[in-house]
Amino acid sequence: MAMKRILSVGILSLATWASALSAEEIVADARTATASKEDLEFFEKSIRPVLVDKCYSCHSAEAKKLKGELYLDSRAGVAAGGEGGAVVSGRDPNQSRLIQAIRWTDADLQMPPTEKLSAQQIAAFERWIERGASDPREATTSTTPGTAKKKIDLEEGRKWWAFQPVKSIDVPVLDDAGWAKKKIDHFVVGQLQEHQVVPSPAADRATLIRRVYLDLIGLRPTFEQVDAFVHDDSTDAYERVVEQLLSSMHYGERWGRYWLDVVHYGEDNYTGEATTPPYPFAWRYRDWVIEAINKDVPYDRFVKLQLAADLMPGTSRQDLVALGFLGASPGYHKDGRLSKDVVETLYTDDWDERVDTITRGLLGLTVACARCHDHKFDPIPTADYYSLAGVFASTVQAPRPLAEIDPAAETRFMVDTQRIFYRSYVANLLRDDPGSKPDEARTKVKRYAAEMEQFKEENAGLRESHPRLYDHLSQLAKQPNPYPDEPKREPMQRGDRRRGTSTEPMFQAVYDAGFWIDGSDTDLTMLEIRPGEPRDLNVLQGGSVTKPGPVAPRGFLSVLANGDPKFHQGSGRSELADRIFSDAAGLSARVMVNRVWAWHFGKPLVSTPSDFGVQGEKPTHPQLLDDLSARFIENGYSLKWLHREIVLSATYCQSSRPREDAAHVDPSNRLLWRMNPRRLDIEAYRDCLLQASGSLDERFGGPSMDLDQPGSTRRTIYGRIGRERLSTMLQLYDFPSAAIHSPQRESTISPLQQLFVMNSTFLQDRAAALVGRVEQEPDNSAKIRTMHRRLFGREPSEHELQLAVRFLETSSLAQYAQALLATNEVIFWP
Amino acid sequence: MALIPPTPRRAFIESLSAGLGSIGLLSMLSQQTARANTVANVGGPAPSQFAPKAKHNIVLFMAGGPSQMDLFDPKPALQKYEGQRPVEADLRTERTTGGILPSPFAFKKHGQSGIEVSELLPNLAAIIDDICVVRSMHTFNPTHNPARGLFHSGNIGATRPSMGAWFDYGLGTENQNLPGFVVLGPGGGGGAGARSGFLPSKHQGIGFDCSQTEPEKMIRYLQNKQLAAPDQRRQLDLIQQLNREHESSFGQDEFLEGRIQAMETAYRMQFEATDAFDIRKEPEAVRQEYGSTSFANGCLLARRLVERGVRTVHVYYGPGQPWDDHNRINQGLRGRCPDMDQAAAALIRDLKRRGLLDETAVIWGGEFGRTPVSESKDGRDHNPFGFTMFMAGGGFKGGTCYGATDELGFRAVENRVSVHDLHATLLHVLGIDHEKLTYRYAGRDFRLTDVHGQVIHDLLT
Repeated sequence: MAMKRILSVGILSLATWASALSAEEIVADARTATASKEDLEFFEKSIRPVLVDKCYSCHSAEAKKLKGELYLDSRAGVAAGGEGGAVVSGRDPNQSRLIQAIRWTDADLQMPPTEKLSAQQIAAFERWIERGASDPREATTSTTPGTAKKKIDLEEGRKWWAFQPVKSIDVPVLDDAGWAKKKIDHFVVGQLQEHQVVPSPAADRATLIRRVYLDLIGLRPTFEQVDAFVHDDSTDAYERVVEQLLSSMHYGERWGRYWLDVVHYGEDNYTGEATTPPYPFAWRYRDWVIEAINKDVPYDRFVKLQLAADLMPGTSRQDLVALGFLGASPGYHKDGRLSKDVVETLYTDDWDERVDTITRGLLGLTVACARCHDHKFDPIPTADYYSLAGVFASTVQAPRPLAEIDPAAETRFMVDTQRIFYRSYVANLLRDDPGSKPDEARTKVKRYAAEMEQFKEENAGLRESHPRLYDHLSQLAKQPNPYPDEPKREPMQRGDRRRGTSTEPMFQAVYDAGFWIDGSDTDLTMLEIRPGEPRDLNVLQGGSVTKPGPVAPRGFLSVLANGDPKFHQGSGRSELADRIFSDAAGLSARVMVNRVWAWHFGKPLVSTPSDFGVQGEKPTHPQLLDDLSARFIENGYSLKWLHREIVLSATYCQSSRPREDAAHVDPSNRLLWRMNPRRLDIEAYRDCLLQASGSLDERFGGPSMDLDQPGSTRRTIYGRIGRERLSTMLQLYDFPSAAIHSPQRESTISPLQQLFVMNSTFLQDRAAALVGRVEQEPDNSAKIRTMHRRLFGREPSEHELQLAVRFLETSSLAQYAQALLATNEVIFWP
Repeated sequence: MALIPPTPRRAFIESLSAGLGSIGLLSMLSQQTARANTVANVGGPAPSQFAPKAKHNIVLFMAGGPSQMDLFDPKPALQKYEGQRPVEADLRTERTTGGILPSPFAFKKHGQSGIEVSELLPNLAAIIDDICVVRSMHTFNPTHNPARGLFHSGNIGATRPSMGAWFDYGLGTENQNLPGFVVLGPGGGGGAGARSGFLPSKHQGIGFDCSQTEPEKMIRYLQNKQLAAPDQRRQLDLIQQLNREHESSFGQDEFLEGRIQAMETAYRMQFEATDAFDIRKEPEAVRQEYGSTSFANGCLLARRLVERGVRTVHVYYGPGQPWDDHNRINQGLRGRCPDMDQAAAALIRDLKRRGLLDETAVIWGGEFGRTPVSESKDGRDHNPFGFTMFMAGGGFKGGTCYGATDELGFRAVENRVSVHDLHATLLHVLGIDHEKLTYRYAGRDFRLTDVHGQVIHDLLT
């Protein structure tokens, strides 16, 4: 198997040879071949055999995998040292890391790692170094130090297909007997003809209307809607259905959810611990996404608002809610008693999450691979990674009010939210768990408790103008319990903070402020926020905060940048957003068009939707992708335009039935000789079950509900999305973890899903509700008929009727209803 | 353009493998020559190159970090330095600590191997010749969640797959009617330690509440509360007739066929799992041997599950992090050790009696250890620098005591074993080269051991 191995150095430096070496530079002292004959004999007798036997397996050209970028199989390799620097220092064994390593005196630097050399062997190495480390071994080309490290060639990198601008393409019109309806069809039929495969006939009208309903609004057409469409002979019947669906408010509920997968929307954090409470207003961002999709906000503006609405002049207050993308991004708990380095590492993890989501999600590039070293395959130097990460080290999360507010007062509020929150956290922590210095702890508790009151009072102006904001600060300023010798306090009133959701008029957002970790108190790590002062990060060697390298000014990926990649305004979020749609317009359009294609067809054109780099797959239809992307841009980044191009195409309207002739040539349907038959995703599946049983609550927007609670009948998009614990129902049907960006959904079949179908209260309740809907019917056969109409949008066949009648001789109508709900036809999407 | 990609055989087989678990990559690869990395995201391991010693593994997880110097790592020097803080030793941990806190518990040599064990653990001491004690474990993050993340997934972050998910991905399960990775804990198990991360979600560990003894209370949707078995069978027959009819009108389809089969498996599972999860079916003598706490239930259930082919079972001692003894440690250990000791020893004895110990690796331990110095007078702080874990069965050498901490029991100094080494070794006994079990995600191949880990052959038979 051609296995490509890409390994990165771990985030914290571990006890590896490479990371334990210091970064000191040495001038390679050429251990020339002018050495004496004795020295060379000594090398051959006492040194070479040990190197071959004990070191070459990891430190030579023959090594299965070179460790620490250190070659010990040539003179030049020894002289060059490893990833961390020199291994032989002059003629001093005690200063030479090679000797330190083989002596095993440093617990983190022990070589060979599994078995210490004998005392005699160690002494031989010491003597060898004292005598000048004579070494007759010449490097072979493959082991010449310096060639192991490949320098990134940006000019060469810019030639990669995905980085080219997109242009619409003149496609030859082939003789296809009038099959093609849209431009994309010509590309598809061209490739089909090349392989002598004919496209499939159009799907029957009942299948087609059901397909496009589920696709555009995630719900089924009613029996009447199917019937009307099947009997509508007008030429524009299908177009009218598509237009009607695109203008339905349910359209945003369907397509907004797809976007929420890309940004891995969630309402809490990986661990619900003290420093990472849930995001109580995250649902407002979810609603903003739905509305923006419904309004067909151009894709470039849609993304820019989410990255930088606060920095875009003329943005309405409502559109600031878009900042919830970053405002509710996940973070990891940071215990204030951890050292500065550990806390800083945890923050670099948070920034890494932003870089990863944005670069894979929007640009199809795995930039996070460059956190510890230059990207091994794509032209992304580590410095570029830190240039992007700096944007997020200069961006701080805070809730903001929905109502207009004076900018200075708002900034003070946002900064103080964090300051008060953190002080309340540490004060409570030290009050309840003072450790071994109780007196010191008590002093700190007093100090931080007083500081948070002081910060709160600095916002006293809000009491009049924005009482809810002031209340919010008061609630954050939770004072520690009084000490036994202090008077008791009135318990504080709790606001509307049920289960992490709040309807207070606020939203999750971000603002520009540099973020630093303050380690001046060695017992308690504090945070420092400087509004308006962005922070450039150092390149962290091996990703370790203890090894800062040169500063990487905030900026865009150099391989994509036109001209100077640096950002100059504030955090750089708005420049980042702009560059994604100017310098990287071709790439970002391709990535989104490919995603939209996958959501319509079940399979993308580029089968690695979040990796358009060297490791990713090439498109099955490169010209189609380029042309559609170019026209997507020309048509103002309109998603609704893109939907029309796709769903009105002959390719999309094909039957999805299997065909042996075509399957023989192209079993996985890469050529698109048919529509892909699919399993419904959990959202459409659950919503359709509720809809068919007449229980669907179609209200729009609002706080999230718990999907696992019986009686929750709203559309699935309104279910709470937990990063710590995902709803059982979502998990069962391949809903991706909201903790990390997921390139695309899986679609599995498992027995646990079938247990849910056979035995869950949710399905039993649906069956009972369905029975309730047919109660008025005069007899069983009318009831059976109505159930079929509701569930499948069609009449039962003669045979189905017979089976039903026979079943009902011994079983109840509810059992029958549940059997229908459990059938494949309900969850199948042909 | 390559027209016919190598068949995405893995996805296809998985869609048909009507089991809860999956056919493991390794067995699949040995059955066929098609390349496995044709499915998006699958880097894919190579077939195993050596015979596995163990088929199953059971992790007894002591969340919170149990104290090594009170249980398995006797340190007489602690008496000598009582209350002091030897200047030459850097004993700093995250929280402020005081002077040396000696262990009040007596240690004695046991078995032929003569390994010293604390008086708190008489049952484990009695079978010490079946146990491999590693006194030189070390980790690097001093906080619970990151350290637990490292133990469970090889990474301190909160997103990587848990080891059980890796094993399920690499090896699959032997029993298609049961999950390949089960997590037992009072209140449900599961959670972060069961995560499938970027691996397909079917490798997720499935949590069950072992404070319950009735299977239908432990497993969601396992039983149909409305229908008796014959009625349910009749209903399923109707469903399948309708499904067959539907499939014949649409045409041959992997999904339609796969779901028909999965329905049948689910139907059978209702009875098989009900049996497997019912520890009340064990003879009274066996139940008494384990004890009656939720940890005891979990250990007994773990045995029943591996007996039926479940690959990985994790049993959590208690909810939360009970072994986090920041204060009143002696009292805490006296309270917790008896039932832990009884059940863990009973599990090892029971596996041995049934001839299952050879093929089942049992791992005991927490996310880190504790300090020799006191915290809050009578507690001990977290200690990632040195701690003890033990293994039994599954190719681990019984009666072995490996590695050592320093004089004070603070830092592992001899034959140090990292958590990555433990993972590499555990993968090794399961027949997998830890450098070859990879999964392509976000542009690179990931491993349970990241870029680290050495198999510690000295621990193995």
